[in-house]
Amino acid sequence: MSDIKTKKRKTWKNPLAVWGAKGGNYEVPTPEWKNPHQIWKDTKAFKVPTTKIGRFHYEYKSSNHGEKIWNRLRWWPTRRTILWTQGVYNRKSLKPEKIRKDKRPIFWFLSLLALAIMPFILPDGYKNSLLTAGGIFGIYASINLCWTLVIGTAGIFSLATYAIVGMSAFLTTWLSINLGLPWWMLPMIGMFVGLAFGVIIALPALRLDGFYYGLLTLGLNELCRVFITTSHAFGAASGGLYGADTFINDNWAPMAQTLVQYYSGFALLIAALFLFRFVDGKRLGRILKLAPEKKEAFAEASGVNYKRARVTVFLISSIALGFIGGFYAAYYRGSAFDIFSFHTVIMGLAMITIGGIGRADGAVAGTLIIVVLDRVLVELGPYRYIIIGLIMMFTILFLKNGLFGIRKQFRDWRDKKKGEARSSRLERGGEMLPEQATEIDNKDEIYRKRYDKMQREFLKTLICDEIIEEHKQKPLGQHSEALERVCYYFRRGAMNDKYVVKCEVPFKKYKIMALSGVRGRSPRLVEDKIYDTVEAAYHGLFLRRIQDLMEA
Amino acid sequence: MNDIIFLIINGITVASIYGLIAVAVSITWSALGLLNLSYGFIFSFAGYGAWLAERHIYGEPVFVMFMGIAAGVVGGIMVCLLVFIPVHDKPNFTIRGMIGTLAVSLIGGQILLQNFGPKAKLLPEFFGYGKIKILDVTLTADKIGIICSSILMLTIVVRWMKSSRRGLEIRAMMMNPHAASIVGIGVRKTGIYVMAVTGAMTGLSAALLSQTYYLSPFSGLTPMIKGVSIALMGGLGSVKGAVIAAIILGFNEALTTKFLGGRYVLMTQFALIIIVLIIRPRGIAGILDKAREA
Repeated sequence: MSDIKTKKRKTWKNPLAVWGAKGGNYEVPTPEWKNPHQIWKDTKAFKVPTTKIGRFHYEYKSSNHGEKIWNRLRWWPTRRTILWTQGVYNRKSLKPEKIRKDKRPIFWFLSLLALAIMPFILPDGYKNSLLTAGGIFGIYASINLCWTLVIGTAGIFSLATYAIVGMSAFLTTWLSINLGLPWWMLPMIGMFVGLAFGVIIALPALRLDGFYYGLLTLGLNELCRVFITTSHAFGAASGGLYGADTFINDNWAPMAQTLVQYYSGFALLIAALFLFRFVDGKRLGRILKLAPEKKEAFAEASGVNYKRARVTVFLISSIALGFIGGFYAAYYRGSAFDIFSFHTVIMGLAMITIGGIGRADGAVAGTLIIVVLDRVLVELGPYRYIIIGLIMMFTILFLKNGLFGIRKQFRDWRDKKKGEARSSRLERGGEMLPEQATEIDNKDEIYRKRYDKMQREFLKTLICDEIIEEHKQKPLGQHSEALERVCYYFRRGAMNDKYVVKCEVPFKKYKIMALSGVRGRSPRLVEDKIYDTVEAAYHGLFLRRIQDLMEA
Repeated sequence: MNDIIFLIINGITVASIYGLIAVAVSITWSALGLLNLSYGFIFSFAGYGAWLAERHIYGEPVFVMFMGIAAGVVGGIMVCLLVFIPVHDKPNFTIRGMIGTLAVSLIGGQILLQNFGPKAKLLPEFFGYGKIKILDVTLTADKIGIICSSILMLTIVVRWMKSSRRGLEIRAMMMNPHAASIVGIGVRKTGIYVMAVTGAMTGLSAALLSQTYYLSPFSGLTPMIKGVSIALMGGLGSVKGAVIAAIILGFNEALTTKFLGGRYVLMTQFALIIIVLIIRPRGIAGILDKAREA
C-alpha cells in the first residue's frame, strides 16, 4: 500500500456530475487502480490445454432414411433384430439418427468371413503351413470355447478339459482300431465318453469349491497321462496311439487334404461358437449370471437352482469336449500323449487368459495368438515359449481381464483421470466446470457465473487501506473510482444473505442483519455489536462485505 | 512281511520329500493366498544350483545340499518379486497369481532347457552307501538321511514359525490377512519371508530327490503335482494335515505297489484323495466352514 501512497494521485471524472447532485464533483482523486478490461483479456487468454467434453462425441451415427426411425430387420421368424439399433434425435439439429448399440456382431462377421476366405488369399509359399495351423486353431478354439463355458459361465475352475478331450480321443481311436468303426462314429462315441468323464469329474465339483477343485483336476490330468502312457492297450512306442479311421483320403491331392482339414476345423469352430451362444446367452447362462461368485446365497434365496445349472453346463461342455475328442481322433488318425501334459494345460490357460477369461471373443483371439506363435513361427525354437510366457506375464500384471478387457479398463482409467482433473480444477471461484456446463440447460447461468467470478477477481485488486479510510470518512456520497466500483458491486448483490442495517433506537443504536432472501422468512442478526451512528453501522457493514469478498 | 516294511519305508522316504513341497504349497496358500504352481520350476532351479555348485565350487555333500537350499531360496524370492508383489493388491488376485506362477514356470523351464540342455543330470549320493540292519530290515543310509533331513527341515521351519517374530507375522497373515495388514504387518515383506522359506524347503527336496532320481528342466513337475495333491488332501493351510496326508499317501503307495502293482498307484491315490475331499471338502485338517478370502 505504501508505494501507492507515494505515487502521484490519479483523478476520476464523475459522469453523473452534469446532473448537479449534491457533492457530485466533476473530478475527485482516486488511488491507483487496475484497468477493468485487463481481467477480461486474461480470462479470454485461456492457456490451459482443453479436452473435449461431453459423451460419445466420437461415436459414429448413421443418418436415417426418411422418418422411419424404428424400422428394423429381424431374423425370420424370431423377433430378434440383426443389429441392436437405437433411433435417436440429434440434440442440436433434431435430425433422426441411428446408433448401433452393439457392434460386436459386425466384428464377428468380418473376422469369420476373413477366416472363411483365408485359403484363397494366402500366398502360395505359406499356404500349406498356415492352413494346417488354421485347422489346429479351429480345434483348439473349440476346446477353449467349451472350457470358457466351464470356467466363465459355470464358474467351475476345472483344469481337466484337455484330459476329457484326450481320453475321448484315445478311447475312440482304440475302438476304431479294434472294432473298425468308421470316422463319423468317432465323435458320436466321443460324446458318450465325454459324458461319462464329465459325470465322474463333476461329482467332486459339487462339494469342493474354487481352487481346491482346480488343483484336484490338475491331479486328474496327471492321472490320465500316467494311466494312458503306462497301459498296455494305449501305450505305443510312437508317443501316441494312431491308426483310427479318418475323413481325409490319402489319395487326394495334398492341397485338397489340407483344405478339407482347414474347413473341417473351421466348421467345428462355428459349431462351438453356436454352442457357446446358446448356452451362455440363453436360460442357463442367464441363471448363472444371477449367481456370480460370493453371491450364490442371494441367488439361492431368489429361487434359482444355480448348482443344477452349473452341473448342467459342465455336462454339456463335457459332451462337447468328448465330441471334439472324437473329431480330433478322426482328424489326426489318433492322438499323442502330449495332450495330457502339463505343458498343454499351461498353453490352454495362456490361450484363455490372454484374450480374457469368460468371453468367447477372448478365447478365440487368445487361441489365435498362441497358435500363431506356437505353430507358425516355428523357426523361433524354444524362444516362442518364452515369448508366450512373457505375454502371459504382461497380461496378468497389467490387464484386468485380458485383451478384450482393455476397453473397460481404459474407460475406468479415463473416468478416474477425469475425476482427478475435475477435483484439481474445483477452485475456480464458483465458475462452472465444463462437465457441469454440458448438463445445464440455461446457458445464461453459466455466463453469469463466469462474469461474476471475473468481476470479483478484479474487485479484489481494488481493495486497499485508502478506500477503506475513504469509506470510513464518508460512507455515502461521491467516492473515488475504486471505492465507487466496489460499492456498486456490493449494492447489486443477491438478496439472500445480503447485509442490511437495522435501526434499534433512531440516532442511538444500530445493528447489522442479513436478509434471508426468502419471502416470509425473517432476517437474522449477524452480530451483537451496537453502532452509535448510522454512518458507523454503514462502515461496519462495508467491512463485513469486504471480508466476504476477500475470503470467497 | 519284510517286503511290506521295506515298501512302507520306501513310501515314507518318498512321502517325506513330497511332504516338504506339500507343506510349502500349504504355507504359501494360507499365508499369501497365492496358489504357487511354479514350485516345479523352483525345484529344477534349486537342483541345477546344487549341480553347478557341485561341479564348479566344491563337492562336499553337505555343501551341495546347502547350495541347493540357497538356490531354492533365490528361486522363491524371484517368484515373489515377479508375481506376488506386483499382483497381490489387484482384482482377481488368486487366479492372476496362479497364472503368473505358471508363466514363470514356463519361461524358467525354457531358460533352464536353453542353458543346460535336455540331458538328465545326477547329483552325488549325499549320505554314502552305508547300511544298517534292524530286525531283519535293511535300511540304507540314503533313506535314513532323506527322512532325517526332511524331518529336520520341517522341524526347523515349524519351530521358526512358532517362536520367532517373523513366524508370528506369517501366522497372523494366515489367520486374517486384512487384520494383519491393519496392525502393521507388511504384506510384501511377509511375502518375501514366506517365499524364501518355502523355496528353501523345495530346494532341499530337489537336492534330496535329484540324488536318487535325476534332474532335468521339467523334472519338478511330478513332485509339484504330488505335493499339491498331498496339500489338498491334508487341507490347504495346515502343516499338520500335510504331514498326515503325506504319511497316508506314502502307505497307500507302498500297499498299492505290493498288492496291485505300481501302475495303479496314482489311481488309488486319487481315489483316496477324492473320497477324503468328498467327506471333508477342505481336507483332513482344513477348517470346514470358510475358505481363506484373499
